[in-house]
Amino acid sequence: MNRPIRVLVAKPGLDGHDRGALIVAQGLRDAGMEVVYTGLRQTVEQIVHAAIQEDVDCIGLSSLSGAHMALFPAVVNELKKQGVHDILVIGGGVIPPDDVRQLKSLGIAEVFTPGSTITDMAQFIRLHVKEKKWTGDFEPPTKVDHIGIAVNDMKSAIEFYEGLLGFSIVHDEQIEDQQVHAVFIQVGELHIELLESTSDNGPIARYISTKGPGIHHIAYRVTDIEDWLIRARQAEYRLIDEAPRNGGQHKRIAFLHPKGTQGVLTEFCEVIQSDS
Amino acid sequence: MAGSKKSKERKEQFTTSSGITVKRVYDFSCALTTKTFEQKLGEPGMYPFTRGVQSTLYRGRLWTMRQYAGFGDAKQTNARFRYLLEQGQTGLSTAFDLPTQIGYDCDHPFAQGEVGKVGVSISSLEDMETLFDQIPLDRVSTSMTINAPASVLLAMYIVVGEKQGVSIEKLSGTIQNDILKEYVARGTYIYPPEPSMRLITDIFAFCANHAPNFNTISISGYHIREAGSTAVQEVAFTLANARAYVDAALAAGLAIDDFAPRLSFFFNAHNHFFEEIAKFRAARRIWASLMRDEYQAQNAKSWQLRFHTQTGGSTLTAQQPDNNIVRVTLQALAAVLGGTQSLHTNSRDEALALPTEESARIALRTQQIIAHESGVADTVDPLGGSYFIEALTDDIEQQSLTYMKGIQEMGGAVRAIEQGYMQREIQTAAYETQLKIEHKEDIVVGVNAFTTTSDKEPILHKIDPHLEIEARDRIAQVRSKRDADKVTQALNKLRQAAIGQDNLMPYIISAVREYTTLGEICNVLREVFGEYTPQQF
Repeated sequence: MNRPIRVLVAKPGLDGHDRGALIVAQGLRDAGMEVVYTGLRQTVEQIVHAAIQEDVDCIGLSSLSGAHMALFPAVVNELKKQGVHDILVIGGGVIPPDDVRQLKSLGIAEVFTPGSTITDMAQFIRLHVKEKKWTGDFEPPTKVDHIGIAVNDMKSAIEFYEGLLGFSIVHDEQIEDQQVHAVFIQVGELHIELLESTSDNGPIARYISTKGPGIHHIAYRVTDIEDWLIRARQAEYRLIDEAPRNGGQHKRIAFLHPKGTQGVLTEFCEVIQSDS
Repeated sequence: MAGSKKSKERKEQFTTSSGITVKRVYDFSCALTTKTFEQKLGEPGMYPFTRGVQSTLYRGRLWTMRQYAGFGDAKQTNARFRYLLEQGQTGLSTAFDLPTQIGYDCDHPFAQGEVGKVGVSISSLEDMETLFDQIPLDRVSTSMTINAPASVLLAMYIVVGEKQGVSIEKLSGTIQNDILKEYVARGTYIYPPEPSMRLITDIFAFCANHAPNFNTISISGYHIREAGSTAVQEVAFTLANARAYVDAALAAGLAIDDFAPRLSFFFNAHNHFFEEIAKFRAARRIWASLMRDEYQAQNAKSWQLRFHTQTGGSTLTAQQPDNNIVRVTLQALAAVLGGTQSLHTNSRDEALALPTEESARIALRTQQIIAHESGVADTVDPLGGSYFIEALTDDIEQQSLTYMKGIQEMGGAVRAIEQGYMQREIQTAAYETQLKIEHKEDIVVGVNAFTTTSDKEPILHKIDPHLEIEARDRIAQVRSKRDADKVTQALNKLRQAAIGQDNLMPYIISAVREYTTLGEICNVLREVFGEYTPQQF
């Protein structure tokens, strides 16, 4: 079951614009998926047939000719007619917002319009292909990966953990989009992540202004972060991150909202297996 | 490599889309080569036409403002055409829907969902009559973006002219008719390369004798660039394709100066302002030398690369769409400074849908402001002699010639395309561009920087879904009203001619006159010629 995700990139209808389709095909390949590209001018039946033949997990439809409303839902319907229910269907192209909403209500899981990134698409496919095939099996988190502590003053925090307690710093980074300076301290098997805000209104600054410094979050090490997002969402926990994001240090992370977890901000954290 | 003073700069290296390194500053040493100033530039209107194909350029007549338009049925597009002419547009440019472009009537199963979407739906002469209703064909020039079935649409245009009382030699306009870039980048091919090239040279020969004011082809780099090529690849692949058409016409027995003056070109105006200006200048210079020195054309008109420009559709963003007005302005300015003969400016909402009337008007006004308010049209080649522009022009010329030489060594453009060479080169460049955007090495305002969360949704153009049904009814009526025997006869004659060697244009014109449909004509040619199936590379 651990084979790479397989994607059929398809051009339905008469549209000849395949720059996007070709880029997506190559990008998803580089993201570790197996991609089959149909070429131009495919009928709905040809696309569904190819998807079944190639045993794909996902069909990515591309149309820039305005025929998406006729063609994309037809692919979804043809899949149903063939009794196929576990193939994720997504689309992309020059598609107005009104149509995007309609397509989503007709079974197209997501529509990627100009400006979308391959990274986002790959992320979306990974998560939703999993969800389609989700059996409910799961492995509990293997350990606490780290505990995040919001600090007012990094220098005195380091004095305490390194100076008094004698632990060592293993990592130090500026996370610009979070406006935070993070310092990781090794404490036996786990890390303590010291978090100091780099701006007056960053998330950590806001946290401290309402709750004061102290324990900010607990991160659990999981083997499959998508599994956990699906499991949490299906159990109706509120997600802060709908999809995993890069957490630095070869980790993918995602947060659950503290509202549903007795006030504790909870993070899932997966170590990316480097495959080269 | 940099000078001795190493003050800190924003980037390690500054490059154009084609990977040309941009220096901190240019001076006279950059423009010094073995060729003299006269050899490289010459006067405007003189060989090698680096400074433009006319001596007076826009001081004589402004470029043709030619907005590509077409949607829905012929009646709707006719109304948009007349609106654009009233607004001061000076030429027409027809967008056809995909079934028309691929030679299917609107009632063909493959046409489902596509009728009237990216352009106007034309299935028979009747649609064409409606399209040009009350537009006198002796007083406008019409450009038609039609390739594989170009001869059929040209035939329809000729017959509409006849019916208006305008004789064929008075018609002026352009058919795109450039099949090679369809295989490379645009995708609306029908037949394999060989019979496609025959259809094209048939048009060259026919128009040389009968329609002297018609541009028989618009050899297009536009779509190659849209597919993701660099500026250098755009020039090189377009001119390599142009060579293939010239070779095919010569092989068909035409004399160079009989058809070369009617060859026209179509380029993209993309984002890198100076590179684009230099690109147009370099393309003119390469073509002039190729035609005069290599093909031995005697008529100076054969040496002149005349071109239409469209601003770069793929540079438009769906995010913060009003920003596109600014992008289009800069691109249009580059086209004008590069000496274009005609120009289409894109509308701000085209990354979302076909343009609304308001958006199309702003796009046209953009050209009018450049033409009448900026003063840039008052002198020819105002950037000529700029150290930077001349150095970039030289660089693009050199790199394009290297590419073109490689393609010649492969056996020419047709072979290079059959082997997937151009397609691969473009694909590689397109993917690199995407990665640069994803890694924020290239900034796209509103997309990977300076984003906003709450774009208000623009009002967009909508296509009436009933239109497809109405179009099908109309074609059924045409079929029932016409003389079926005459249609059959015309198609049989066309089939015989296609199997043989005759020029096909007269047969197609006869068929069109009897209201034989586009799909019926193309189907006969499909039977004889077969269909092109691309390899997946």
